[in-house]
Amino acid sequence: MALPKQLQNGLTPDELTFLAEEETVNIVPLFSMTKVRLLGGIYGPFVPPSATKVPLWLALSLKRKRKCRIVPPEWFSIDRIQALLKEERENAESFCLLPRRFIETSKVLLDVASDDLTQPSMLRSLLKDLREVRQAKIRIGLQSEGVMRGTYLQVTNLTPLELSELKPFLVKAMGIMQSLEPRRDDEDEDDNNNAVPGRDYDD
Amino acid sequence: MEDDYFSLNAILADNHKLSCSFTLDVEGLGYLEGGTENNIHQHSKVELPFWLAQTLSLNEFTTFPLPPPYSNRVKAALKASAQSVILSNLVGNNGWWYRWGRRIADVLDDEPQADLLNTLLKAFTNRLPALQDLSAHHASADHTLPEGSTSSGEMFRDGMEGDERELFAIGQESGKLSKAWYDSEAGRKGR
Repeated sequence: MALPKQLQNGLTPDELTFLAEEETVNIVPLFSMTKVRLLGGIYGPFVPPSATKVPLWLALSLKRKRKCRIVPPEWFSIDRIQALLKEERENAESFCLLPRRFIETSKVLLDVASDDLTQPSMLRSLLKDLREVRQAKIRIGLQSEGVMRGTYLQVTNLTPLELSELKPFLVKAMGIMQSLEPRRDDEDEDDNNNAVPGRDYDD
Repeated sequence: MEDDYFSLNAILADNHKLSCSFTLDVEGLGYLEGGTENNIHQHSKVELPFWLAQTLSLNEFTTFPLPPPYSNRVKAALKASAQSVILSNLVGNNGWWYRWGRRIADVLDDEPQADLLNTLLKAFTNRLPALQDLSAHHASADHTLPEGSTSSGEMFRDGMEGDERELFAIGQESGKLSKAWYDSEAGRKGR
């Protein structure tokens, strides 16, 4: 394939961030404007001080121009994330359910609109803790029995971003394991050698 | 691990030399032995690349014992501590221990075949955790450590064979990519 190597395995974190910016978020505009028709839909009207719903990319763009305040999504508060972290720690077997674009959204919000959040540094460290707990679980999962037998890895509730980090390594490792698996369906070897056993497991 | 026609790795892995003995006289191929003789005699041993040895062996012109990289000695060592076996030494520095083993297994009969494949699979799964740690760790670690240090990680890294090395590179690359993303600041470009 002509794609650069790091793009062949699926979406990159940057691409996932781009997708995350399609999600909508509430903003409080600091300017007045009537409804605006964009390709993705009709947004507005923008009347301060009432809130309106726009895609994240628009919110970020307006925020950068200091034309709005972003209202963080309801899951993006210290209480909620602390609760998540607690749940994540107590539940060693599986991952807890995060909003699909949790990591990407929280990161861009922290980067761009940290002054609209309460205690951004606290949020940041909580997010980091959460990530570390989940990473540790992934690491343990990689050494679990399912992987050892080359069959499966428990990834329920992992977000696409976390998967994208894991996927290339895992896919290749599983591929190798499956190709080393003892042949189950014994193809009766024909008198010729042109029957190549093991084809059935190639990805 | 594909046997794709276009896979360069598969071709290179097929090039490992296998020591075979002929079961019959062959005229005019004495140069394969490297000697001055014109013919190959029955029972004489010749080092053949695997792609040739495979065909000859399937047609029972040659036979071969299991080559040293897959011998019982190695098997025992793998059983004792899979992570400290230096696979790269067994098959030459750019060898493919798993691939070649699998290719050899293709030629073997049922029982030794299952046995060999089991050895390969066990070795791989036992080495995987170390490999995973190392590749994840290497992505974020700075590389200012002196080269050739003797920590177990470094030892393991030196002992990786072709596919493990590839896997290591893949893991490292994706780790690097996400680390770069976490460290980047989306806000900076707009302000």
